[in-house]
Amino acid sequence: MSISTAKSPVAVHKEPKIVDGLNLVLADSYALMALTHLAHWNVEGSDFFPLHKIFQEQYENLFEAVDEIAERVRALDAYAIGGLGVLAKAAEMEEFKSPLPQKDYVAALIVAHEKVIDDAVRTRNEAGTAGDLQTQDLMIKRLQWHEKTLWMFKSYLKN
Amino acid sequence: MSLPDCTTPYPSDCTPSHCRWRCATEVIDELISQAGKVSADEVDHLLELRWKLRQYDDAEGTIKLFCDVRLRMEQRHYLAFFRMRRWLENHLLASVSICPEAKPQFVPVKLDHYCVEAIRRASLCFALRRGYVLLAPRLRFTFREVELRKGTFSGAPSRSLEPAEL
Repeated sequence: MSISTAKSPVAVHKEPKIVDGLNLVLADSYALMALTHLAHWNVEGSDFFPLHKIFQEQYENLFEAVDEIAERVRALDAYAIGGLGVLAKAAEMEEFKSPLPQKDYVAALIVAHEKVIDDAVRTRNEAGTAGDLQTQDLMIKRLQWHEKTLWMFKSYLKN
Repeated sequence: MSLPDCTTPYPSDCTPSHCRWRCATEVIDELISQAGKVSADEVDHLLELRWKLRQYDDAEGTIKLFCDVRLRMEQRHYLAFFRMRRWLENHLLASVSICPEAKPQFVPVKLDHYCVEAIRRASLCFALRRGYVLLAPRLRFTFREVELRKGTFSGAPSRSLEPAEL
């Protein structure tokens, strides 16, 4: 293979679809973090203590995740999107009009997690097709966490 | 919670990526398919609600039936009823006439109560807060008009509403 035709590993992985997908998951995760934080502040009712605590654990996890996803975008030699307005517009997630019944916070967060999962699955699949195993691995890790969170939330809503 | 207009072409395309609240009929289908978790009586009510949603013309009757079914089943299927509630709120409007001759004003419908009359009162209060003078108020529920434009579903109301109105 001549030098001019050789592709570096980074060049192989810098697929626009993957970068776009990562940036979308980044925006989703940021928006979900803000919603979870709001739920943490405003939840009321008999389950205040467990919900307040679990929401905190979740927004802390999401805070670490957005950093990891943004750094993956940079590792692919692209730029991460940012700024509250840009992220909110990209994620298209609606904001809570607090106060809500405590179960509605959980149900609305389930819907938000499903949106992240949907976008992360697409990004995982794109990465797999392009042979970008690092991005695929990151998306799988995020999906595992979101799916576990869904399981816990859905279990909570069962009477 | 403010919701975007549903731009989903058909219920079969109603995936979370298109409409995060999912179509109410799809949610009913999922409920009915859960063998052992829904009684025969509840299936009958759900099928009736599904029929009303498919017809999309009797908003009053739909809300009334939804309230009945919700009272019976919500505690066991909270998420399903949350999805249906949000979908309905996204597709219903309350048409308020401030007097018999006046052009109707449209206000959003919030399904925070379990009875159609309580929902009607809440909608009237919402109209009052907007400053509408209600001399002889008449309120009727209506579905947003559905227009098929190049295969897309538009959740447009019967007149153009400013975003601030909704």
